Amino acid sequence: MNLKILFSLLLSFFAPAVAFAADGEQAAELNVPIVIGFIAFFVLVSIFITWWTSRSTKSASDFYVAGKGVPWAQVGIAMTGSYLSAASFLGCAGDIGVFGIDSIWLSIGFFGGYMAVLLLIAGPLRNIGSYTVAGALHSRYPDDRIKLTVMLCTVVISTFYLVPQMLGAGLLFEMLLHWNFVWVTVGLGILMSIYIIFGGMKATLYNQVIQASFLWGTMVILVTLAYFGIGHGSFFGILDTAQQTVPPMIAAKDPAVVAAIKGLPASEAIAVARQMLPDAPSTMTIGVKTSSTLAMVSTVIALVFGTAGLPHILIMFFTVPSARAAKKSVALCIVNLGIFYLCAIVLGFLLFPGIYPKLVAWISQGPVGVGLAKNMSVLEMSHKVGGTWLMAIGASGAIAAVLSTSAGLMITVASSVSHDLYKVYINPNATEKQELGIAKITTLLMSAIAVSLAVLLKKENIAWLVMLAFGIAASAIFPAMLSTLWWKRTTRQAVIASILTGLGVSVLFIVLLFVKGAKYTLLGLPVAGGPGLFGVVASALVLILVTMATSDTGKNPTEFMALAHRPDTE
Amino acid sequence: MSNSPPSSNAMRRKVVVNFGLFFLFFAFYLGAAVIQTPSFKDIAAMPALGMPLGMLLSLLIFPVSWVIMIIWFWRSK
Repeated sequence: MNLKILFSLLLSFFAPAVAFAADGEQAAELNVPIVIGFIAFFVLVSIFITWWTSRSTKSASDFYVAGKGVPWAQVGIAMTGSYLSAASFLGCAGDIGVFGIDSIWLSIGFFGGYMAVLLLIAGPLRNIGSYTVAGALHSRYPDDRIKLTVMLCTVVISTFYLVPQMLGAGLLFEMLLHWNFVWVTVGLGILMSIYIIFGGMKATLYNQVIQASFLWGTMVILVTLAYFGIGHGSFFGILDTAQQTVPPMIAAKDPAVVAAIKGLPASEAIAVARQMLPDAPSTMTIGVKTSSTLAMVSTVIALVFGTAGLPHILIMFFTVPSARAAKKSVALCIVNLGIFYLCAIVLGFLLFPGIYPKLVAWISQGPVGVGLAKNMSVLEMSHKVGGTWLMAIGASGAIAAVLSTSAGLMITVASSVSHDLYKVYINPNATEKQELGIAKITTLLMSAIAVSLAVLLKKENIAWLVMLAFGIAASAIFPAMLSTLWWKRTTRQAVIASILTGLGVSVLFIVLLFVKGAKYTLLGLPVAGGPGLFGVVASALVLILVTMATSDTGKNPTEFMALAHRPDTE
Repeated sequence: MSNSPPSSNAMRRKVVVNFGLFFLFFAFYLGAAVIQTPSFKDIAAMPALGMPLGMLLSLLIFPVSWVIMIIWFWRSK
């Protein structure tokens, strides 16, 4: 290692903690050596796991689906890690801290998606068995155009999901440690590329298990400490406080309130703000953030059906030995996610008695401050209840979240490009070794593209890209996948038409977003909310109508159904 | 593919159980989400078990999902 870097690292262990705060507020100090220690731990563990798994990652099956023999409990935890991004860890509670009760649906929405996966997709999809989502559809309809279209969807969905992760990680490091944004994102990209290239899916799953356990454990410990330390062990007491609290988003708009509560303890600040704004809504008032019922319905549809169409989640079912194991892994994931998101909701309401003046001070700085309040309030709360240690653990938890989600996305794209594009269109006679080589090159390329886009879009608010990814997955993949697995009458033409329709509606939303802006509404639906409602309805209608008008039901649909719905075995 | 096709009765039962439970979940989930919007805020604000009804229904999604999951595993044995 370069001596200068080593010296800087050593110095940082003795350097004072880094402080971050809104203007005039007392600074929360971050214990930099502990954060660096945890990051070093993740890096070393990743390298060890990669070395260990690389010895047994030889074939395409090893690389893409970890040899199809991973225990269900491991996949269940890895799936939890793949789904819990930094937005879930920091943003769900932070959003409640800014807007109040309207934002509880951010947590609940993300949680609900897995029920469709469990009840409708996991078992039959595992029984079909493949390396990619496109491969599963292709096994019923041997039409290469299906592979190409689904591969395109996979790349778009995964890129939309991945770029905000990388950008969020870079910003987090920049804000907390004042590290260079570009170097952080490049470093993360290289780390993930290394463990995907050398360890494939096996290394990705092991790393996700460690990262998910750390993240989940951090959230549970943080909420337990805050619940008893700040909430005095009373959920109804916390809600009573929320009932009295003027939403920080509203209080921050009044400079007199901002000045009056500066430096006060949270309970006094809440009382003063209420006294000064007696007619203002409370954090328990509906409508501070949510504007329309249609937007809410569209978001819910995108989250429920989108999760069941997310390629990086679906390919994990191919890694377990049986359909029953796939179902068990989803069930474990649902329990884990439920506890995590419940904790996030409770933590969101605890932010008011915990750090109310800080929330208002942040938001009063304008859009950048709103971003700070959403993303930094969980870390500020960690500092409040557990000091610099817990805050450092919290920051490391956020980094673990970014790593586990991003690695899952990258290996999904690599598998799809090499298996569904290269092997089908570019070199049909490719050997397994050549195919794996392309997967590894794709991993590097994907990493470079994600880092470049994150750097280019650094100044933009691109959190809505994730919502768009859910919308595309719900519109383009879910209806086609569901009907292929459950409806024998579904035709090849209908599947292609449905995917293209879902993709078309999604592209329309993307174009409108760029041309008209995020606040533009289409038939009453804000385009930033994603194409969920319109996309799913249009795609499903096209699927049914084209099925009625055509007759190519694929390669022996009876046998396909028999395979997909065969009795469960261990 | 060397699997015998599922009998139509078994398949029908599977469809009813899986889609029925999913519909139950989705109806509850969508209903709770819609109640929690400004158009239905009067209903959502009604007190129930020490908290607003909208919030109670929203939080109930967690245990309801777990119960549906248990029923599904039990029925699909």
